[in-house]
Order: sequence, then C-alpha cells, then structure tokens
Amino acid sequence: MLKKNIFTAFVMVVLAALVLAGCGKSNEGASSSNNDAKKEDKKSGEVNLYTSRHYDVDDKIFADFTKETGIKVNLIKGEEDELIERLSREGKATKGDLFFTSDAGRLHWAKDKDLLQSVESDTLNKNIPENLRDKDNEWFGLTKRARVIVYDKKKVDQSELSTYEALTEDKWKGKVLIRSSENIYNQSLVSSFIALNGKDEAKKWAEGIVNNMARDPQGGDRDQAKGIVAGEGDVAIMNSYYFGQMLNSEDPEEVKVAKQLSVFFPNQETTGTHINISGIGVTKHAKNKENAIELVEYLSSPKVQKVFAEANYEYPVNKEVEPSELLKSWGNFKEQDLNLSKLGENNADAVKIMNEVSWK
Amino acid sequence: MRSQFNSWALLSVIFSILILLPALLIMVQLFAESNENWEHIKEFMLKNYIVNSVTLVSFTGLFTVLIGVSAAWLVSAYKVPMHRFFKWGLILPLAIPPYIGAYTYHGILNYTGVIQTTLRNQFGIKVDQKFFDIMNIPGAVFIFTMFLYPYVYIITRSFLENQSSSLIENARLLGKGSFMTFIQVVLPVSRAAIVGGVSLVILEVFNDYGVVKYFGIQTFSTAIFQAWFGMGDIYSAIKLAGTLMLIVILILILEKVIRGRKQYSYSTSKVRPLEPKELKGWKKYAVLSFFISLFALAFGIPFIQLLHWVYMTYDVILSATFADLIWNSVFVAGIGSVLIIIVALIIANFSRLSKGWGGKVFSKITVLGYSIPGAVIAIGVLTLFLSLDEKVITLYEWLGLEPTLVLSLSISMLIFAYVVRFLAVGFNSIESGFDKVGTVFTEASRTLGMSVTKTFFKVDIKMIKGAIAGGFILVFVDILKELPLTLILQPFNFYTLATKTFQYASDERIHEASVSSMVIICISALSIFFLHRVLEKEPK
Repeated sequence: MLKKNIFTAFVMVVLAALVLAGCGKSNEGASSSNNDAKKEDKKSGEVNLYTSRHYDVDDKIFADFTKETGIKVNLIKGEEDELIERLSREGKATKGDLFFTSDAGRLHWAKDKDLLQSVESDTLNKNIPENLRDKDNEWFGLTKRARVIVYDKKKVDQSELSTYEALTEDKWKGKVLIRSSENIYNQSLVSSFIALNGKDEAKKWAEGIVNNMARDPQGGDRDQAKGIVAGEGDVAIMNSYYFGQMLNSEDPEEVKVAKQLSVFFPNQETTGTHINISGIGVTKHAKNKENAIELVEYLSSPKVQKVFAEANYEYPVNKEVEPSELLKSWGNFKEQDLNLSKLGENNADAVKIMNEVSWK
Repeated sequence: MRSQFNSWALLSVIFSILILLPALLIMVQLFAESNENWEHIKEFMLKNYIVNSVTLVSFTGLFTVLIGVSAAWLVSAYKVPMHRFFKWGLILPLAIPPYIGAYTYHGILNYTGVIQTTLRNQFGIKVDQKFFDIMNIPGAVFIFTMFLYPYVYIITRSFLENQSSSLIENARLLGKGSFMTFIQVVLPVSRAAIVGGVSLVILEVFNDYGVVKYFGIQTFSTAIFQAWFGMGDIYSAIKLAGTLMLIVILILILEKVIRGRKQYSYSTSKVRPLEPKELKGWKKYAVLSFFISLFALAFGIPFIQLLHWVYMTYDVILSATFADLIWNSVFVAGIGSVLIIIVALIIANFSRLSKGWGGKVFSKITVLGYSIPGAVIAIGVLTLFLSLDEKVITLYEWLGLEPTLVLSLSISMLIFAYVVRFLAVGFNSIESGFDKVGTVFTEASRTLGMSVTKTFFKVDIKMIKGAIAGGFILVFVDILKELPLTLILQPFNFYTLATKTFQYASDERIHEASVSSMVIICISALSIFFLHRVLEKEPK
C-alpha cells in the first residue's frame, strides 16, 4: 500500500516536471496558444510536414513557399514507415499536417490506416492527372519516376530487350543486377505484377529473377549500374532518377560509368513500364488544413513542377510542364496502366513472395 | 542511516521501472497470439536470420578479442616508437560509427572508388570484382571488427595497466617468454575485462541496422524493420525483437558465468601500474607495423577518404543550418549523457552496497535496454509518452487550454529514449570503476560514522572519477552516433548529424554525407582524446 502511494506520488512529480518542460518548449516555438487559441487556430502561419524525401531541392521549394505566402514550413524528415507509425500513434493529437513520401504504396497504406483526409481542390484536380491521385483525393502524386532497364551499350543490343518478364529467360542467366527485396521500389515493382498478372505469375517472375541474378543483391541502384560496367552483369533494373543523378554526378568516374550505359523502357508492347510517384496527403487531424492545401497546390503548380523536374531528374505530373532535357532525350514511353493504390494493397504479398523465393 | 539507504533503494527502483516501462509495453505485446505473418517468418526467414546474426556476432566477437586484446597487451607491456600516440590512437576508430565506416569502405573499394579507378586509369588494369566486394558477411565482419574492437581494447588495456603488474612481472621473473605470459597469465586474469568488452561489441552488432541494411545482409534487426514496415505488422516485429532479447539475455547470463565470482579488486591503494619494456630488433618492427596497419585500416584510410569527399562537397553542404545540426547533436548528447551518469551512479552504488540479490537484479535489468533494437525502444517510448500525454491533455482541457501533444513532441521524449538505450554503457563503466576500488573504503567510512550518501559524495565518487568521465564520454559518443531512435523520435525541425548523414547515404549521396560524418568523427575523436587525458592523469 505504502509502496503504491510512493510510486503514484513519484509518477505525479515526474508528470508535473515533464508538463512544465513541455510548456516551456511549446511556448517559444509553435503558437502562442494561451491567448486567443481559437483565432490562432486557423491561420497560425505555419504548416507541419512529415516527409521521407530528403532532397535539398525540397528545402529550397519550401523556403520559396514561405517567402511568397508567409506560411512557415516545419519539417520532420524520416523513413516513410516510421513516419506512418508515428502519425498513427499520435492520432488526433498529431501536429503533422501533411505526409510526403516517395512511394505510392506507402501513401495508400497511410490512407488505409485512416491517417489522411479527402481534399477537394479544383486546382489539384486540374494539375494532377486522375491516375496519379487517390480516388477519394486523400493523396496526390507530385513527381514520377520509372523503374527502367539499364544496359551496356557495347554488350547488349537494344533489340535483345523487351519486357521485365523476358529477363527471367535462360538467356540472361547470371546477368541480371537488382538490389535487395528490402528495397521499397522492388516491393512496389512486384506489387504491380501481382496487380497485373496475379500472384502466381508474380512469384514465377521473382523466382526467375533470383535464378538469373548476377550476384546476391547488394548496394543501392547506383551500385547496380556500376556492376554492369565492372563486368558483373549485363543489365540492371534501376530507378530512372538515379541514372539521371549519375549522369550529372560531381564524381567524374560515376559520369563515366553512366555514359557507357543506356536506358530502356520495358513492356512497351504489353503492360507498360512500372512507374512510381512521390506524393503527398493532408493528415486526418491536420490543425493547419488550409495552409496544408495551399502548400500542396503550390507544389503542383507549373512553376514548382518545373523545379522538381529540373533539379531531381524526376518526371513532372503536371501535364503543362515538360520533363528536363535529359529525360526527354530518353524518349517518351508507355506507363503501366494501374491505379497506384494497388502497390500498397499488394505490398505485404509482394514481400512474402520475395521471401519465399529467397530474394535476399 | 538505515532510512538513508532506503532512499537509494527507492530511487533505484523508480529509475529501473521507468527504464523498464517501454520494454514492458513491448513485452506485453510479445505474448499476443501469433498471426499469419509470423508463421511466414518462421517458415521462410527465421533460420536465415539466426544463422546470419550468429555468424556476424561470433566472428566479430572472435576478431575483436584477438585484435583488441593483443593490441591492449602490446601497448601496455612494450614500448615502441610513437608509443604514446598509439596508446590512444588505437581507441580512435570508436569515433567512426560502423555505418559510416561501411559507406566509406564501399566508396573506396567499389568500381568508381579510388583503388579501382587508379588501377584502371593509371595502369590500365581491370580487376575481378570478387576481390573488391565488401558488401557481404565477411565484409560486415571486417567493418564491425575495425570499428568496434576498441571496446575490447580500452577495457582490457586499462585493466592490464592498473591491475596486473605484479602477476605479469612475476611471470617475467619466472622466465616466461612474452607469448607464454600472454597465453598463460594475461588472458586468464583479464578474462572479466575481455568478456565485458566483447559483450558490448556483441550488443552493438545485434543492434546495428545501418551496416547490414546497406550491405543487404538479413539479420534480426533488418527482419524487425522488414516485418514492421514491409508487412506492416508491428506484432511480428515485436516477436522478433523479443526473440532477440531472449538471445541477448542468454548471452548476458553467460557473461556472468564466465566472469565468475572473481572480484579482481585490491584491498590496498598501492597498485603499481605496469611498466612497459623497451622492444628491440625485429620484434620492435613487427609490433610497430601491427599498430600502424591497425590504425590505418580502422581510422587513417577511412578518414582520408572522407576528407577527400568533404573537399568535393563542402561548399554545397556548409551553411547556417549546418551549425544548428552540430549544436543539436552536442546538446542532446550532452544532456543524455549527464542524465545517464546520474542514474547509473545511483543504481550502481545501491547494487554494490546491497548484499541481497535485489540490487544485482536491478543492475542487470537496467542494462537490458541496450539489447533492445533502437527502433523498438523508440516505439515503446512513444507509446509510453502518448499515454502520458492523454492524461496531460485531460489536465489541459480541464484548465481550459488548447490540447496539444506536450510530451511526445518535445525533446524530452528523445532524451528519455537515449537514457533507456544507453544506460548500460554508462552503468558498465561505473560498475567496473566500483569493482576496481571494492567496498573497503566505503566500509571504513561507514564505520567512521559517515552516512551512505555522505560517503558517496566524499569518498566513492572521488575514487571513480576516471570511470565517471570514461562512462560519460562513451555515452556521449554513442548518442552522437545513434540513428534509428533519433530518426523516429526527433521533434519538428530538429535534425542531428547522424540523421543527416543517414539521409544522404540512404539517398545514395555518399559524397554529400561526408561533411556531417566528418563532424561526428571529429567531435567523437576529440572526446576520446579528452578521455585519454583524463585516464592518464587519474592517480593510480
């Protein structure tokens, strides 16, 4: 009994101390919530963003937004899944107004966990094509990347390439480079196959790729490109924007590697090349909803889309904006005709399939 | 006097409970029914995780002992040129977090790295990639060994220097050669120190996420992330974490058994430090080249590579916000370390003075946090703070204030998580400090009528100053390097050097990651240098 009392007393003390500490913290930063909380609520002049994109160009765009609108952008950067977990634990008390990430599957996931809310905006409907936003308008794609086949111009003739599926043929035994199954881009790729061809076909494909791997999966997308030039394999599956980065690297050796390679958009005669997006959604319990929508609209505007496209080698979603010269030089391509929500719905199955076929 | 001791006990209980709460919240869920995902993991993955984790841990353990102990022995028993430099220089690799080491070595060895580029461009040699492939299990063992052996080195060295002189000198007098002295005397007597060091190494390896993720090796920690995130199933993640915890508890018990009941403490203050002997002839050069190559591989080479990348990218990276990064990192690491040392002192002092088993249990419980992967602790802490917040919110509403998440968005949550995670590091250092001085002086002081508390401040604390400083610095460096916790729990607009480094690296922008890596390394290296100075000056 006595012990329990002491413990309770202690907990109260700790609690009190923490509250005081918390007050001290929140007063200086967030809002002067004490006087006139309700008025402040709507236009507190800030917007809080959870983002898994860590590009310097994003910081620059947010700074421009603040300059133009006076709305301050606060950021928490982290891994997408950890941010989702955090949002869901914070529930209605969250301070996050927006969730920004570079994978459609994760956006769907956030929606699925009831973390996002529907947004009605004519501007967004105009700026962003329908297949690149959620059907309930809970998230919006802002940039696109394609998962392409990269090959050595000297060793492989373009006519030898056709589809992702063809890479599982015996011809490519020991010649395919691709990173690990832990990577979200590969998970989404397999998810897309589940959506298009069914689980059995997707598993067959994953099994075939594992059989044809030039080496155990290792490193990032750039490492796959280097693997080709180093003679470890002939083709690599990688993200288009990493290839753009390599071509423009500050390291001359990386540029040299990229220059020996070429980009191929697979499945042009069939289901189309797999694409993924970076996208954003307003959180369910956003406290600064108006500011949040204003920011999303700003990000979809032609001006900002141009910045995304030029600086990061990503494809703009806004049809009014052209891709950068580099991306244009790779040519137009047919995209997978797929509601990107499917990537999220099938993610868990994709991971299981990859585990079952021992895709490391 | 009795009641005085009780307040030490009470504080120890409270701290232990606070530390345990996040783990308990996780444990509660560990016993939830297993689901389909867990069955899938058991069928297809678990064996692989266990084999890989155990392989990594065993080989890293073996090599860190071999390298750490022999370096410690050679440094304390022999004098070679640049002896004073190597003494602390061999601790320096601790300043490089293994994940940064992994990024750097991969950067050096890969196709566009300096070695292959030079061979290609200067000599026209194209090499077989097999020989330069580091992204595999042997590669990871190499990285872990290079950047973690100092744990074994530092603990063994300080033991050998301060505790073993009479034994070693007797062995020498009895005509034992240096090799036989090493095998028959040094290894057995420093067993406890070695085991203490290597268990830190093992826990670090179990907890690593950066290296194995980068290298694509499936271990428990990647599995936890995979289940939690890839399958969206935190319950399976928690089960994996629980399994890992059981393994670690087993290791900790094993450590106690190996360490045995022996207390290597002296009842006299006249412990003579070991006097190093001058080496001559080929032996001198053999030892010297061992030191040089170890230092080069574990510090010099990665450092120079990073320096080169810094030169390539600093003008883009360095800005006003970069100063904030440094300040943030030093700030949280400083506060966290101070808190940890205070808590560790209280529990260690209580556990050593209490004769019953209770105190010992506390001491073992508090170090458990170190065995739980950072990301799992983060979720436990988040859960705890959110439930506290709910209560606070009720209080706020009652007071008519706007409901906000006061606690879980403040920096106190992050710091609390650091305390849970790294208490073991500070505690081990302080416990071994107490072990060294034994309880004779305390007992004398008590006999002379001083209270436990007074004795603690007037006697005990002064005798373990070195251990306190050492513990502080180890914790400080650990927090500075910490990654998953900080990623999950950082408040808005708050980044550290570690999270920034990870962001760049996970974006495959290793060059840009070099500036923040370099600052982490320099701050850690300075701390280590300072630690060395403190230990040197400590009266022996």
